[in-house]
Amino acid sequence: MATETQESAKLAQLAHENPDEIEVAAGREREQLEGWIPALASDAEIREALEKAFDYRGDITITQKDGSQVVGYLFDRQRGASLEDSFVRVIPSNDAKAKVSIAYSEIAALAFSGRDTAAGKTFEAWVKKYWEKKAAGEQNIQIEPEKLD
Amino acid sequence: MAVPVSQAWTVATYVLKQKMMGRKKYPLVLMLEPLFRCNLACAGCGKIQYPAHILKAELSPEECFKAVEECGTPMVAIPGGEPLLHPQMPEIVAGLVARKKYVYMCTNALLLKEKLHLFKPSKYLSFSVHVDGQREHHDFSVCREGGYDIAMEGVRVAVEAGFRVTTNTTLFDGADPNSVRAHFDELMVAGVESMMVSPGYTYDKAPDQKHFLGRARSKKLFRSILSNRKKTWRFNASPIFMEFLMGKKDLTCTPWGMPTFSIFGWQKPCYLLQDGYADSFKELMETVEWSNYGTESGNPQCANCMVHSGYEASGVNYTFSSLKGLLQTAKGIFFSKYEDEGAMKLLNEWKPASYGPLVQIGAPVTNSASELQEVSGD
Repeated sequence: MATETQESAKLAQLAHENPDEIEVAAGREREQLEGWIPALASDAEIREALEKAFDYRGDITITQKDGSQVVGYLFDRQRGASLEDSFVRVIPSNDAKAKVSIAYSEIAALAFSGRDTAAGKTFEAWVKKYWEKKAAGEQNIQIEPEKLD
Repeated sequence: MAVPVSQAWTVATYVLKQKMMGRKKYPLVLMLEPLFRCNLACAGCGKIQYPAHILKAELSPEECFKAVEECGTPMVAIPGGEPLLHPQMPEIVAGLVARKKYVYMCTNALLLKEKLHLFKPSKYLSFSVHVDGQREHHDFSVCREGGYDIAMEGVRVAVEAGFRVTTNTTLFDGADPNSVRAHFDELMVAGVESMMVSPGYTYDKAPDQKHFLGRARSKKLFRSILSNRKKTWRFNASPIFMEFLMGKKDLTCTPWGMPTFSIFGWQKPCYLLQDGYADSFKELMETVEWSNYGTESGNPQCANCMVHSGYEASGVNYTFSSLKGLLQTAKGIFFSKYEDEGAMKLLNEWKPASYGPLVQIGAPVTNSASELQEVSGD
């Protein structure tokens, strides 16, 4: 997800440049969110944290106000006018077929508890690894998909 | 013709029926993603970056058929993930063929030779093999040396077995148009039915965030590739969409043209942007603020997009919106080689990126050798 600064910079670029004249499209940098426990002290902080959780590529842990916890992948969020009519949807890590809905107003705590599966997987990392292996005389250089078990 | 007459007829009658019914927003191709796991880990693809429990999840055949029936498109593309990793993929494909849907099963073909016997040749089924360029370009793009040879072996075996085989090539910053044209020649020699080509796009989930073509460079690249065409080349794309890529035609995005269904539901708003999910196709169509998407919307997320999932349907819609559109499309199909001296000059003067195998996806063209060394750690 773009940070607010990146988003502003991109909007400023587009305000002065016709999209049809852009030679190389600007990209976005990722935030380091793994392990983050946002404060959720205000409505704005709750909304911002859940927006980041929606973009996060690892599991999160939501503690509800009744004390129960849901651990899983937050795949959707619906933003309403109030926290009561805004909610997230999570696929729990222990039940692939379930989709749990939780109102923003019921969330007491949020933790970016799972490993960020996008971390370190940049194109630059691949280029670096490729050249290092090539220089070492390796053949059949490749990135292996991660094991799932 | 790049597709069988029966398919062209089915699509044409479908589109005309939608227009006669007065529908302004209708889909053309369903992008059905039955799973996200893959046997490649390409640096330019963000589709497989999920926790293990998500990567293990799959749509059942019944969920796939329900989505197809909800959506109603005559064509279904099955991307992923790698569809051949789904244990019930033969059953899913057979079910779609039985429903007379034209299926494009998008595969990296690593498993195609091994699994081919599980499928039956049909005019409704095409294997759409992802090949991102000539050998070293493709291998670098998919981050696997030897990937090209396996994919092309899969292509040859499938062609020999009587299957329809098409290809899908995505181009990024640093692509060499001369190499891409040579790649087209190789694919035609291998016997593929037709080819699809599209620019990459800076969607938020892509791990590679620095090597996407802006619109100006996309148009220059595609003008040099697609002008002065060889007679042997056959493309699996609307001629109007290809003219759009070449900068010869203005189109506005049709974000609902290729809706995506996955284990999360109906993806809002389109194949590459993820702004939430709807539980039904109806909900998707009714709840997305469509005017917020497309280059013309001013949405910065859409600024550089020229991808087929947004604009192929626009090209088809243009074709069927007027007699002029029909005539232009017919001309594009049957007569135009798109002769263009300026494009030939571009092609002849194109300087390939100077970083070895990183021709197709490379460091930014402004990079100096020292910057490249810095990246490579040498």
